[in-house]
Amino acid sequence: MNSRTAVALSSWRVGTSIGLIWALLLPVAARCQVTPGQAAQIRDGINDRIEALTVLGGDYLLGGGHYQSTGNGRSDRTVDVSKFGGSGEFSDLRQLGDLNIAWRPRVQGNMGTVEWNNLFKVPLLDGDVSHTKAFGIQFGGGARFWFTDEFSVAPTIMGMYGHTTNEYTAKSAFMVANLDEAKQVGLIDWSADTWTLRPSVDFEYKYTWDRTIITLSSDPTYFHTGSLKSSNPNINVVGDSELWNNKLDIDVPLGRMLFGHELRTGGYFERSDLFGNAREGLNTNYINEIHGRLVLDYLNELWLTQWIGLGGSYYWGSNFTGYSFGIDFYLVF
Amino acid sequence: MQQSLDQRPIAAWWRKVSIAVLGESLAQSRPTLKLERILTRTGLAGRNNHCLRVRATGACLLSVMAFALAGCWTAPHADVQPKGDARLIQRAIPVVAVKEDATVQSIDVDQRVVVLNFSDGITATVKPGPRVKNFSRIRAGDKAKATVAQQLSVYVLKDGLSPGVDGKLEPVRTDAKVLKIEPAYRLLTLQYPNRQVEVLKVGLDAKLSEMEAGDAVVIETTELLALRVQK
Repeated sequence: MNSRTAVALSSWRVGTSIGLIWALLLPVAARCQVTPGQAAQIRDGINDRIEALTVLGGDYLLGGGHYQSTGNGRSDRTVDVSKFGGSGEFSDLRQLGDLNIAWRPRVQGNMGTVEWNNLFKVPLLDGDVSHTKAFGIQFGGGARFWFTDEFSVAPTIMGMYGHTTNEYTAKSAFMVANLDEAKQVGLIDWSADTWTLRPSVDFEYKYTWDRTIITLSSDPTYFHTGSLKSSNPNINVVGDSELWNNKLDIDVPLGRMLFGHELRTGGYFERSDLFGNAREGLNTNYINEIHGRLVLDYLNELWLTQWIGLGGSYYWGSNFTGYSFGIDFYLVF
Repeated sequence: MQQSLDQRPIAAWWRKVSIAVLGESLAQSRPTLKLERILTRTGLAGRNNHCLRVRATGACLLSVMAFALAGCWTAPHADVQPKGDARLIQRAIPVVAVKEDATVQSIDVDQRVVVLNFSDGITATVKPGPRVKNFSRIRAGDKAKATVAQQLSVYVLKDGLSPGVDGKLEPVRTDAKVLKIEPAYRLLTLQYPNRQVEVLKVGLDAKLSEMEAGDAVVIETTELLALRVQK
């Protein structure tokens, strides 16, 4: 099982599109009336955002950290991501019947929160604060099948529960005057509980060259989200998202001991392509991550631990960049 | 990989699949068109017009899979004859082993010596190290978790014989056999005669690249590092 934590102060430049809801809100609020078409757009925007934030918090996409927007002048935004979880196989390899295929069970779990704060600087909403918080927890499993010593496939299925809330602090004269209407149409001060089904297949090719491990993996994942309950009838989340993660990881032993353990370095490049609601809600087509680490090898020396050290990641997407660094540890069962 | 390719139906099948996939990739200028059509028909490719990416990634994935599936998985075996002449590969490789379910066979408190039976079948007479506390409270028959320092000597044997210091073939006692070697993390997996398996971490100077499954291992237990009696 592996888990990576990143405690970080990072920058997150989201450009013009982080606030889809608010881009929609501005013309609506200016007229103080919501047409059915606009209401549907707003609902879609909020619903996409709920699923996207639940996936961002409850799934493995994007490491934990504190991300700050440098903004586009319309608002100051911060995004806090906290994550704990991992995935891995346990027990010894078993032969699958008489076939030349080995397998062992796999478990996966993850939980996390995303807090998204907007401090508005546009004249109409100047000083208003919107705080959206999503909590996601998921658990599931499957099995990994080895077709060769190097190539394996792990089909898995997970179930996720999500809870997303929005709190709006109105200070602008305009929003104070229109607060009730905004609440009534479900623009602000809402909450939603959701469920998500997450089937996935992980293809992995692991090659050892000398003592260096090179791992290629491809992980298409599908999310179907539905509403359990919501505080406003206009909030009804039904959506589909897809993620396709492709990753190249290199794990290099340095042949030098420190504190009785061998130093290792390495890192990975991971590209996550987003489709469906996750793409709409986060307004990015992809998230790239390049990660580096310097760790100490504890495999077979400390219970459940493969390595402990320091690591850092740099993220970039269609319209943002960010970075995080912190403790890097990898657990095995 | 003891069977020939023809005797392995799965391997042959994978190879056939691989060749078919590769053949199609090479023969068609747009091999992922079918995939794109299927995705469009099922609605998976309709949204956000991501077919181009799917096409590129799908082609790469199929190629990687085709190469990867060309072999097959085989269970590791320690009961195989390693290659090469009988020889000593390396002597006295230090390791630390944790022995669950060890039994105290006897103890001499005055001489500070304890005889332990390990569940892998090995019996060791060892002196406790400075970190072993309450040695006098250990009793014969106690079940314990023992952490011991050991030294491994790894041989290639022919009929149980290996050249001695004078070059003459001498019988070598075999305590275990090498089952698996993972050089990346310096892990040596041993299999004992009772089929029990143990994974040991070896030092940077261990000649893992010269070892292979089936090598004979002679184990000398040199010190008792810790003993936790299980009540």
